[in-house]
Amino acid sequence: MSNVRSFRHGGILLPQRIHFDHGPIENAFLPINAIVVLNSASTGRTSRIAVTEGEEVREGQLIARFDGKGTLNAHSPIPGIVRKIIAGKNADGTAVSTITISLAGSFSVLGKKPERYLWKSLNKTDIMHIVQEKGVARVSSGESLYDILHDMRGTSAPRFVLNALEMDPYCRAEEAILLERSADIVDACAILKKILQTATMTVALGESFPEAEVASLLNLAEKAEVHFEIQRFRRRYPQDMPSLIDRTLSRNSGKAVVSLMLEPSTMAALHDAVVSNKAHIEQYVYIGGGAVKESRILKARIGTPIGDLFEESGGFTGRPEVIVVNDPLRGTMAGNLDVAVEKTTRAILALTHDETHSARELPCVRCGACVRACPEGLKPWALNKYAMAGLVGEAADRGLYRCTSCGACAYACWSRIPLVDRFERMKSQGQS
Amino acid sequence: MMYTQKEFPDTHAPHLHDWRSTSKVVWICSLVLLPVVVWSIALYRWAAITVWLSSVASALLTQLVVDGLFKRFTLRDGTALLTGLLVASAMPPAISPFIPAAASAFAILVVKTLFGGLGGNWMNPSLAGIAFAYANWPVAMREYVLPTVLAGVDGLSSSTPLAFAHGLAGSGQARVMDAIRQAGYPLSGMDESLTGFLNDSIFSHLGARLPEGYIDLAVGFKSGALGESALFAVILASIILLALRLVKYEIPLAILGSFAILAGIFGTGLPGEFIMGGDVLYALSGGGLILAAFFMATDPVSSPVDRKIATIYGLAIGVLCFVFRRWGNHTEGIAYAILIMNVLTPTLERRLEPLLGPKPARTSV
Repeated sequence: MSNVRSFRHGGILLPQRIHFDHGPIENAFLPINAIVVLNSASTGRTSRIAVTEGEEVREGQLIARFDGKGTLNAHSPIPGIVRKIIAGKNADGTAVSTITISLAGSFSVLGKKPERYLWKSLNKTDIMHIVQEKGVARVSSGESLYDILHDMRGTSAPRFVLNALEMDPYCRAEEAILLERSADIVDACAILKKILQTATMTVALGESFPEAEVASLLNLAEKAEVHFEIQRFRRRYPQDMPSLIDRTLSRNSGKAVVSLMLEPSTMAALHDAVVSNKAHIEQYVYIGGGAVKESRILKARIGTPIGDLFEESGGFTGRPEVIVVNDPLRGTMAGNLDVAVEKTTRAILALTHDETHSARELPCVRCGACVRACPEGLKPWALNKYAMAGLVGEAADRGLYRCTSCGACAYACWSRIPLVDRFERMKSQGQS
Repeated sequence: MMYTQKEFPDTHAPHLHDWRSTSKVVWICSLVLLPVVVWSIALYRWAAITVWLSSVASALLTQLVVDGLFKRFTLRDGTALLTGLLVASAMPPAISPFIPAAASAFAILVVKTLFGGLGGNWMNPSLAGIAFAYANWPVAMREYVLPTVLAGVDGLSSSTPLAFAHGLAGSGQARVMDAIRQAGYPLSGMDESLTGFLNDSIFSHLGARLPEGYIDLAVGFKSGALGESALFAVILASIILLALRLVKYEIPLAILGSFAILAGIFGTGLPGEFIMGGDVLYALSGGGLILAAFFMATDPVSSPVDRKIATIYGLAIGVLCFVFRRWGNHTEGIAYAILIMNVLTPTLERRLEPLLGPKPARTSV
């Protein structure tokens, strides 16, 4: 095994609780009602709605068109009838638009043999057009993949990193996808190579990724004429953040390079769009947490309510304390089980109190756990003091804007102070 | 099973937390002190029970009154209980219950509450309470009694072995223990037989001899404060705190290290000592040094946050404690050493943070 890399300061070791053997990834049941959120997860901007209520839609039919940078094409995840179009506001004042589609009619994608286009004959512009047309999003951030690639046109020899790292104790979807769909993902890498003109592609793997699979991955890459460079990373949160992968990789070389980091799930969506002519209407979702009967990964249609997915995993064994969408350290809380799967949903977790260790907030006792946890070398406890005194300028002088909101400090905090939340608020205050 | 709107409370990311929480840590600290409480009660009977009870009850009651005034109940975090326990641990048994009660009340009311409650206190409340008692009742605080098992009767007064040995400096004996035996300090039969056994079976092979009396020191068959009565239990509790990483190990190690080195070089005013020939074992095991180093100096609120600065803080406490023990006429210098460094902590942090504090991570681009 090549040497295992890691960043230098801070970080937290999370308990590796979940033993998880995944079989082949199965498709989730189709939802009776699919709720498609039209706001981009990264910008919040809404796509232009292209259907009307009562209209019949096919599986994969365009239902909302991108409306400038920061928006995405949206397609109907299921065949059916457009029941409701809502263009309203959230409780917190942010705009939100959704289209609800009720299942009806025949399937054009499900059960059919996937198409295989000979993408090698396509040129760069054609591929870019397909990426835009199929509404492919970067799963980790929700940005439009087309926008990302478009912005990178000018950069010479950018570094591409296939990021299969997941550092929290639950999500294992990315490695599982890489194992299950390695041929497709290698193909997608070849497609990216054509767009980016990069010679080397770095594959970021966790230290426990099976060595035998690495060999077969390299084999596939060779056949596809892609050069893979495998880099192993130590299990230490938040190593999976692009900024920390960048820092770790460029520590020895010292060269500043522009990197593009994409996850296996995004690469699978890219492959499906270009090779199989499929819109981004499916998402691999890890369902887990202590309150779930059986942890598993399901391939779910966008718009499926998370409650359906929990039910398909055997339901809850106890009452969960909190339902989290995505990463338990950075993800958002789901207020109820009607929240729908989006293009950024990688995991849904039902966590019990034994896992969250939540407690009442107490005053800071200066234990110093946050200082040890911070990968950016900040002093979160001191920043918190400034936050409570409303001194944004002072906090900025002490590195507030270097904070990446990874959540390591708030994880470690003895007094359960919502440090990240407070810093986020201070940052938005400072910018306005 | 479906949940409706607002079924789950609003929480912020991160949704996972370390198992250590402030109140959990405080409760564990109190819990590991329990063997000390039990052992001291076994040694002193009612003379110990009244002290523990009055101190803890006074701390809890004062906190309850304060909480009632502020309409914010904090007894659940366990800090008042721990303060009460630590104050009592520095009290001599058979002392008037009024003194520990007053010391605990002072600790909670003046040192903790008036400076902002948990997280705001400028010095360790329990140490401040102890210093308060020393200042107000200097005679009562130095009236020690022998444990019932050793004296055969209840409440036979005696000076602590540390103070006793101090008085014998220059008596011409080569070892402290021999000197205090010579002067007639009581020795238990248990120590005699156990030390004899250890010497015969282990130490004689190594060419060493353990003088009689150390086993008595470790199990509390001597006069001393309640917290000193179970040195073995205190050491065990300290190991638990270190193993669970509830205290910064740098602080107690720096205190004990610097104190031991100085005591080894200059001696602590005990009989039979010479330059480079101080009795380190006796200096460390006598008095409440270990308890204070692990339970009081490590109080995160009044010690430095940064580990490097905490090391310097610990070294300074060790040096001060040595100075007080060697040249002061009050053998329990550790309380004042920690209090002085508690007060100096903000200054220490302000001066040393730019030199030793966390460095910003190097960004690559």
